[in-house]
Amino acid sequence: MKFTCSTKDIAQAVGAASKIINAHSTVPILSNVLLAAEAGRVTVRATDLELTLEHSFAAEVAESGSVTVPARLFAGYLGNLPVGVLELSGTPSRASVKCEKSNYDFLALPAEEYPPLPGGGKAAGWSISAKKFREGVNSVIFAASGEEARGAVLMGTLIEIQQQSLTLVATDGYRLAKWTTTLERAYDGAAKYIVPSRALAEVARNLGNAETVDVSVLGSNANQLAFNAGSTTIVVRLVDGQYPNYQQVIPPSFDRQISVSAAALLGSLRRAELVAGDRASMVKLNVTGQQLIITANSDVAGNAYEELEVEQSGEDITIAFNARYLVEILNHVDSPQAVMEFLGPLSPAAIRPLEPSPEGNQLYVLMPLRQ
Amino acid sequence: MSIVVHVDLDAFYASVAQRDQPALRGQPVAIAHGGRRSVVLTASYEARPFGVHSAMPLYQALERCPQLVVVPPDFEAYKAASAGVFASVREVARAVERLSLDEAYLDLGEVTIGEATVVACALKARVRERTGLALSAGVASGKMVAKIASDDAKPDGLVVVALGCEAAYLAGKPVGRLWGVGPKTERRLRQLGIERVEQIAALSDERAAELFGRGGPAFRDLALGIDRRPVAEDDEVRSISSEETFEYDERSAATLLGVVRAQAAELEERLRKRELRAFTVGVKVKLADFSVLGRQTTLAQPTDRAAVIYGAAAHCLRRAGLNGRAVRLIGTRVASLVEHPPEQIPLL
Repeated sequence: MKFTCSTKDIAQAVGAASKIINAHSTVPILSNVLLAAEAGRVTVRATDLELTLEHSFAAEVAESGSVTVPARLFAGYLGNLPVGVLELSGTPSRASVKCEKSNYDFLALPAEEYPPLPGGGKAAGWSISAKKFREGVNSVIFAASGEEARGAVLMGTLIEIQQQSLTLVATDGYRLAKWTTTLERAYDGAAKYIVPSRALAEVARNLGNAETVDVSVLGSNANQLAFNAGSTTIVVRLVDGQYPNYQQVIPPSFDRQISVSAAALLGSLRRAELVAGDRASMVKLNVTGQQLIITANSDVAGNAYEELEVEQSGEDITIAFNARYLVEILNHVDSPQAVMEFLGPLSPAAIRPLEPSPEGNQLYVLMPLRQ
Repeated sequence: MSIVVHVDLDAFYASVAQRDQPALRGQPVAIAHGGRRSVVLTASYEARPFGVHSAMPLYQALERCPQLVVVPPDFEAYKAASAGVFASVREVARAVERLSLDEAYLDLGEVTIGEATVVACALKARVRERTGLALSAGVASGKMVAKIASDDAKPDGLVVVALGCEAAYLAGKPVGRLWGVGPKTERRLRQLGIERVEQIAALSDERAAELFGRGGPAFRDLALGIDRRPVAEDDEVRSISSEETFEYDERSAATLLGVVRAQAAELEERLRKRELRAFTVGVKVKLADFSVLGRQTTLAQPTDRAAVIYGAAAHCLRRAGLNGRAVRLIGTRVASLVEHPPEQIPLL
């Protein structure tokens, strides 16, 4: 193979691909990226077997073919090149790069050993605006579980499609994030997928300037999802399992509600969290007479007291939460005013923006702490 | 010679509840969260004749004592009460080794046993006066004997073991009262015909080493009441671990998991005893070539449950990728310990 391209294009593509490489892989070829040149384009691919990222860019292809090079090493080299033009020629065992007066030979592994993309034909898919998708993913994935020991299902994010409505859900069993939007074009039928949250984050990060994300099902057992956005394709292995019935844990209605400045509440909670202690940190919220009083205390740090003006409807309430959970949720509430809804001190509470974003609706459900 | 006092508040949680809610006084009270899987955290002395004791499932306690008054725990109240008690404790001691909210060793410094007894009496009275709580105390030349004495003093008593009388005091007690003797060791000792402390006290160095390994003579000394461990002021526990060295190197994943399961159960007991929960669970594996592998994981919620510790440790063990390599030693460890974290109610 042989091609000539801009150093910037290839550095960007290899840089993005190298980020998904598993540094601890025991299979040598998985530490490499695959470069394939054909018909005026070069495609760079990396995989950790759960997630495959492919990014392509325009190049002058003199001889089509492919080569694999160590991802980290090659990305490091490319990142240090000046802006200019680069020529790469590859053999099964070597990739030779010329750029101005710099000449490098990288040891390669045979391209045919690189794991192929799953076949099995593409099932009918759906599309979503890239802006919506990024917002939705960022709204929910933080709420997924980070504990491998509790299983892959809770580490995943549920994508649920029904006709024109798309819902993303993530939960770690204590708090839940849900985001709903309307698709521009209705999907014919209904579908549910559990996607590793880490992979969704990778998709959201690699959307680039694309306008739309096209999603389709791949694999002979329909166990992979492909996200296409502009010159990037990400293929993700779906999590096999049953997602918890999340609708059951979202109370249909609440009897107490406050509306409060999201920024002021977040500021108060961040300060109170410092006093509440690092991990099992408890903040108490006391809603009374159009006021929200936040308190926290610890043996080592002292006491915190914060007072906020709120619009209250329904009875007063005192309820305790893990400060970390509340802060993480409020970090994502995309609205000047946040609404908090309650049923009782030991029942789930909901947090949502007062004015939903035009892109989609956020809803967060959080269980309190027993004092 | 330094004199050690072990102090322990009687039925602490229940006593705080009875102090704060006069209607509960004289009633059989159990402190427990409501709920199906709840266990009794503390039973008041009125509940104990019914056979209700701590760590018992709540439903069982209610079967034994239907009139039992179940009160949910209020750790803020316990912390406040404990702080009051420890303020009094610190006024009299040279060093304080706090074991939990309701238990501590005090080093009184170079005093006579008589002076120590006066101090302990005065402390009991001061705690009662300032906090309304009953404190039992044991006074002795070492930590273990002081602790056994305060157990004997319960409720609301004081037991003083005169210098030189330690061995005689311990002699007739069951071996299970000695430090480091759990149910497993107790069973083993019973098989050897050893049931009372004096039988261990009588062992020669050689025989003790034969029965209990290298630490045997020191264990025999403990049975004689010889205990020179100092009261350690900074006794903040940072981690708790349980390790096992195999007689023959072990390769079977199933056996290793079985050992980890037992270690998780032991850690649960030790965490509960100290009223701690752990955010971090890890495993340590020493291979036949003496190289050591460690893996750990952090939980979203701190735990003191064996099943959760086991699940996380088993996950760490899988991640260590032993693939049938020969293992000399395996250990399970819990760390990032917190005291009485508020309980996060689950959503799912």
